Amino acid sequence: MTFVLEALPGWRVASQVEADPPPLAWRDDLATRLGQRPRRLGLWAELALYGACRCLDTAGERALPAGARVRVASLSGAQSATRASVGQLRSGLPMPFSFMQSQPALMLAALGQALAWQGDASFVVGRDPQALQRLAVQGAGPEGLLLGWVEEEGEALRTRWWRLVPA
Amino acid sequence: MKKVYLAGRGVACALGADLASSLAALRSGGRAATPVAVAEGFSWPVHTLPNEAGSWRERLGRTLRRVVAQSGAPAAPGMPLFVASSSLDVGYEESDHLFTGDVQTFADVVAAAIGWQGPVFTVSTACTSAVNAVLSAADLIRGGEVTQALVLGIEFSNAFTVAGFGGMQLLSQGRARPFGAQRDGLVLGEAVAALWLGAAPARWRIAGGANVVDGSNPTGAEAGAVIAMCRAALCQAGLRPEDIDLVKPQAAGSPANDAIEAAALKQVFGMLPPLVALKQLIGHTLGASGAAELVLLTGCIESGAWPRATHEIDPALELALAEQAPDRLRHVLLNAIGFGGGHAALVLEDGGA
Repeated sequence: MTFVLEALPGWRVASQVEADPPPLAWRDDLATRLGQRPRRLGLWAELALYGACRCLDTAGERALPAGARVRVASLSGAQSATRASVGQLRSGLPMPFSFMQSQPALMLAALGQALAWQGDASFVVGRDPQALQRLAVQGAGPEGLLLGWVEEEGEALRTRWWRLVPA
Repeated sequence: MKKVYLAGRGVACALGADLASSLAALRSGGRAATPVAVAEGFSWPVHTLPNEAGSWRERLGRTLRRVVAQSGAPAAPGMPLFVASSSLDVGYEESDHLFTGDVQTFADVVAAAIGWQGPVFTVSTACTSAVNAVLSAADLIRGGEVTQALVLGIEFSNAFTVAGFGGMQLLSQGRARPFGAQRDGLVLGEAVAALWLGAAPARWRIAGGANVVDGSNPTGAEAGAVIAMCRAALCQAGLRPEDIDLVKPQAAGSPANDAIEAAALKQVFGMLPPLVALKQLIGHTLGASGAAELVLLTGCIESGAWPRATHEIDPALELALAEQAPDRLRHVLLNAIGFGGGHAALVLEDGGA
């Protein structure tokens, strides 16, 4: 599915990043940006962090304002980690090692850390990108939002982010 | 700006297949959890839904149709459906299926099972999923985008979640003891709950709410985030701490998180309002918990049933769980705290009080 940002009345795009695919050294770039390699995160969550940080940097913001909200969408989600965990369980391992990485919420926590931010972040998915965009901006405050669409489909990686602020 | 009301509700949980039977079971003290094995020699107690015949999807479909019918929600064109779940369809996938779908596939299956016609969203933020789904639905209703929405909180049978939480040593081998002296971890639960929200006035109003993610403790509660969540929810509702008559905390029986939440609530309220816990009766129903506990709690308040806790409360926490409904009960704060640093709350207003 192609996620194209539609015109949202009352909102403007302060910055946007479309890494489709991301550059070969994106994980090194992310480690440089964070000052260390992310720990205990799966590939999908790291991809989200990479796009979100680049989008904020492109907007010239050192940190996301406290009143801004974060919305992340994805049809793939962290399913590769879920599949690995279920495979571990099926093979008789009672404690799936990848369980934490299978939880989208862990990506939200990592985003909070990476963006030096505490606030309203949510993982919301749907098949209609425009409906998701309208939902994301509905109720958002004057500090706007950071909206991301992150996909990990086998080798194909995409991370697209928009910093939206009131027009 | 429009107001948001609870137009209808439904629930199936370990206590019963509907609200009336759940309240009856609650009055009689509830039911013991059932051991769920995840591998040879590894099992944990879980408050499972009543056993039914059929495949995973057949059981899910039947349960959904019953719960949505309880709520009275119509499948109106254009009306959004929010499917809130932490485990989604992993219970289906773990029984020899091959993950042919994606994250939205579960919501598609849910929508098909209940004949849904409007837009369908998945909200998956671990234990705060259902509260966040209510907040999203409320955004649409307040903004005038829609006049009604349906939120379904769903945690259906699977071993994966039990194994995951068990592997992190978060589960009790006994029972859930919210704020208990001997609390030693969570007991998970299964539930399907429906919240039909609308702009038309009804007894219960969603007066406010807030969601605060804090990354500093990705697997648990953070006092600063609990405080920020409570204050933001009160602010949206236009209330002060002293206006809250009852708090339904997260209180899952976690040794550390219960203590952090208790300390944070004291900072918000000073003298604590009466507290009520439900997880000793239905377990921690994760992504469904915000919806399932809201349905049960409002049902308790209306019917006079009360979820008493029989375990000893930790004296170090210097709090108590209410043994009956407060005499004055107009505003309720309902908290959900979860994996991934999620802290979310709703403020309910009882227009019938």
